[in-house]
Amino acid sequence: MPPVLSVERVRKSFGGVAAVNDVSLALEPGRIYGLIGPNGSGKTTLFNCITGIERLDAGRVSFRGERIDGLKPWQIARRGIGRTFQIIRVFPELTALENLLVVTRGARAEAERRGRELLEFVRLGDLAGEYAGNLSYGQQKLVEFVRMLMTEPTLILLDEPAAGVNRTLLNDLLDAVSRLRDAGKTVLLVEHDMKVVMGLCETVFVLDHGEKIAEGPPGAIQADARVIEAYFGR
Amino acid sequence: MAAAILSVLAALAAYPVVGTGYGVRSVQQIFMWIALAGSWNLISGLTGYVSFGHVAFFGAGAYAGAILVASAGWPWPLAALAGGAAAVVLAVVIGYPCLRLKGPYFAIAMLGLNEVLRALVSYFEGLTGGGNGLSLPTLDASVPIYYVMGVLAVVVTAMSWLIVTSRFGLRLMTIREDEVAAEAMGIDTFHHKLAALLLSAVGPGVAGALMARDQGYIEPISVFPLAITVTMIVMALFGGKGTVFGPVLGAAALFVAQEIVWARYPYVHPLLFGAIIVGVVLLMPRGVLGLLQQRYRLPRTI
Repeated sequence: MPPVLSVERVRKSFGGVAAVNDVSLALEPGRIYGLIGPNGSGKTTLFNCITGIERLDAGRVSFRGERIDGLKPWQIARRGIGRTFQIIRVFPELTALENLLVVTRGARAEAERRGRELLEFVRLGDLAGEYAGNLSYGQQKLVEFVRMLMTEPTLILLDEPAAGVNRTLLNDLLDAVSRLRDAGKTVLLVEHDMKVVMGLCETVFVLDHGEKIAEGPPGAIQADARVIEAYFGR
Repeated sequence: MAAAILSVLAALAAYPVVGTGYGVRSVQQIFMWIALAGSWNLISGLTGYVSFGHVAFFGAGAYAGAILVASAGWPWPLAALAGGAAAVVLAVVIGYPCLRLKGPYFAIAMLGLNEVLRALVSYFEGLTGGGNGLSLPTLDASVPIYYVMGVLAVVVTAMSWLIVTSRFGLRLMTIREDEVAAEAMGIDTFHHKLAALLLSAVGPGVAGALMARDQGYIEPISVFPLAITVTMIVMALFGGKGTVFGPVLGAAALFVAQEIVWARYPYVHPLLFGAIIVGVVLLMPRGVLGLLQQRYRLPRTI
């Protein structure tokens, strides 16, 4: 089976700084991958390169065997890559339900039914009619998560899903991610919370100064000398 | 609500029978401002792409309509539709390059567009009469124009209602809320913005052609003044941008206020308008209806 996503020798610089430098990775379907690294190591930039928000300086990105670098973000999204953002980006003056509706096409009644179902699923059913901007941080994060699910993505990119979310909520969220994997979706998540990464991910990629310095199962990564050095210094 | 709207419309339909010439002309002006403010709201209130040159569509419609009536002998209702079509063509020409870019370029381009059009109209004297203006054959059509302008105001408002209650309208709002997130969720923001601009050009184009017919004479400074853009913006902001009936309220309230102040204190009139702009921006950035919506949790269609 070909990889769902393949990133080949991608490079992106800002000014003279290489934010992502010659990074390659391949994601197999139905698995959960982690992307870790110190602050400023290029994780979010790599997400932006995959989703078309940043143009690549070099390299290529392919999704389900087709090249997607150079496409517009909305075209990439429609092919089946969904994402959430590190800093929440809900539509504040739309209601929670409207946030979900805007990403749908086809019959509206069916879209509303599915939207309410997803809001129930993250226990926000009662707040469907509330403006997203009035919800708490954690609730907004959940709205963003289910909004992404409304697009029915094949590949899911999560940028720090655990940050600022309380434990109960977090467990629900992680459950949801596991279930998505079981349903055949592929997940790549950026996360600082090591417990989350180690408990959930089957393979972990480590970035440092824009370069991929390690790749492997969580146990091996934790013991990797280069990774320890990147985080704690020599 | 529906009953209230219908009775207001019935009263307005019967008004020319009993109203004075001044009264009919004034209400016709209110209709025109509703069409202008409501149209501006479609692009700027919903997507947040502020047009500082919406009068360009009004002026283009006025000249297209006037030329067709004066030179080609078209009947004015047909010329009014052609004015709307001319404005849409202009919207494609300006929107196609400018709306591809995110951010403030569109606002600046619209401001420039109006100046360019004014210069072009002055230059092509053979067709437009240049700075001397363009006179139309005399015709008293005040009452028919009153009705057509009224229909235009209703059409623009109904179109706003349909858009605001649709997913298309919600997508326009996502552009205002967070364009990057909208794109990342699969929304083709460029084509949405372009569609909104085209829809927002129709009303001003038709209104310009109707106004030209009604006044019987147009010149570059009378149909391309920045003041018309500013007035429609202030009306939409005062009533509530992004709402359906905000521009209607703003147009009616400010037109009446303007008439009263203008008649009594001609010199402070610009000052009053300036004060309203500052007051609205500082005290109620959402406008009257926006404020009520938030406080009493009313739907956007109010």
